[in-house]
Amino acid sequence: MNEPRTTCTVTLTVNGRRVTRSAPAHVTLLRWLREAGVVDVREGCGEGVCGSCAVLLDGQAVSGCLVLAAQVDGSQVVTASGLAGEDGALSDLQQAFLDHGAVQCGFCTSGMLLAATELLGLGEPLDRDRVVAALEGNLCRCTGYDGVVDAILAIAGGARTAKR
Amino acid sequence: MFVKPFAYAAAGSVAEAASILRAHGPEARILAGGQSLLPIVNLGLAQPRVLVDLGRASGLDGLERANDTLVVGAMVRHRTLETSAEVASSWPLLAAAIRHVGSPRVRVRGTLGGSLAHADPAAELPLAMLVLEATYDASDGEHVRNLGAEGFAVSYFTTTLAEGEVLTAARVPALEEGVGWGFHELSRRAGDFALVAAAALASCRDGVVDWIRLGLGGVGERPVRCPVFEKASAGASIDGLEALGDTIVQGLAPPDDTAAGGDYRLRVARVLGLRAAIDACRRSIGARS
Repeated sequence: MNEPRTTCTVTLTVNGRRVTRSAPAHVTLLRWLREAGVVDVREGCGEGVCGSCAVLLDGQAVSGCLVLAAQVDGSQVVTASGLAGEDGALSDLQQAFLDHGAVQCGFCTSGMLLAATELLGLGEPLDRDRVVAALEGNLCRCTGYDGVVDAILAIAGGARTAKR
Repeated sequence: MFVKPFAYAAAGSVAEAASILRAHGPEARILAGGQSLLPIVNLGLAQPRVLVDLGRASGLDGLERANDTLVVGAMVRHRTLETSAEVASSWPLLAAAIRHVGSPRVRVRGTLGGSLAHADPAAELPLAMLVLEATYDASDGEHVRNLGAEGFAVSYFTTTLAEGEVLTAARVPALEEGVGWGFHELSRRAGDFALVAAAALASCRDGVVDWIRLGLGGVGERPVRCPVFEKASAGASIDGLEALGDTIVQGLAPPDDTAAGGDYRLRVARVLGLRAAIDACRRSIGARS
């Protein structure tokens, strides 16, 4: 019998690094990651709408605020900082965001990058409508979406460095 | 966020989940995909003391066709239904409804059983199931009851599931050859719950309606069928459906809330109901020509 526990020890592979931490059972993946020092995952709305706490969980974007750490013990997690190279060099997608003015305050950017990473990984032909649909759950309150969509389409179109 | 701490149990089976639910009473809740429950927990609107996770329970993630019935395990994620070729070809109404559920992230984690048991009156999947005349399996760990989608939700977020009972699967009949479908919804932002949603199935021959099934979500405490319209439309011409529009909302009195007034919802329901019904008729005719 699996009795309910108030503390859970959870092991995750976060950006390629194995991390084991004990935390109260009600701690979300978002809070668990932030308390582990992974602070590019941010709390916005707390109800899964805004996308600023998105992470890739076993390759798929999920809201870190709507998943308990205990639920996903043993999983692979990638956050936006995990997209960069080990030497800190930006990925092509991250560079494209800079090149296309897709970043202003940056609060939503991590989530946007991860939604885009999942979408690009599907290998489907992309047009503007498909990219917009994939970003449905990512809200930006300052710079808007055109630059983000442009950046993703540039990468989908095979751009390596899309410097203008 | 100021979440009241709760305990967590990963049930290995439905029987184990049911037994934990029984041991802890109404303050224990099933955690399926968490995409509806955890937002209200984060907002303090629900304060469960124990969450019983079905994510590691065996036997709940099957998606299979048995004769002409689609059997969907309660823990099948929306994304799985959304990307299933079988669902797209034989259960197109379900496929259309799924695309309106939440955001892509919600569909990755959200589950069919969770959505049905949560019973939000504006949710798309309970509405689609009502029109598809699905049935649900509910297990207390020993016995399984089979419940009709009609009557499953009794009010806002309230179902006929007994305490300690777990919804384990939905059984969805396939459409007969030549039956068409329609689905429309209006929401304020992409990914929001519907202000109003309408789902329809229809069988038409030579421009004449054989039968229409029409359901609405977001117009009251649970999704409803439109019996007056369904009866009035049998034998009508497709061009004559517009004149029956008022019968779609007959007997409905949605309350005013922060998202919309009740009279506005009625007007939207009339329009979307007609569109869904007419789409279903046109698809039926298309399939038979």
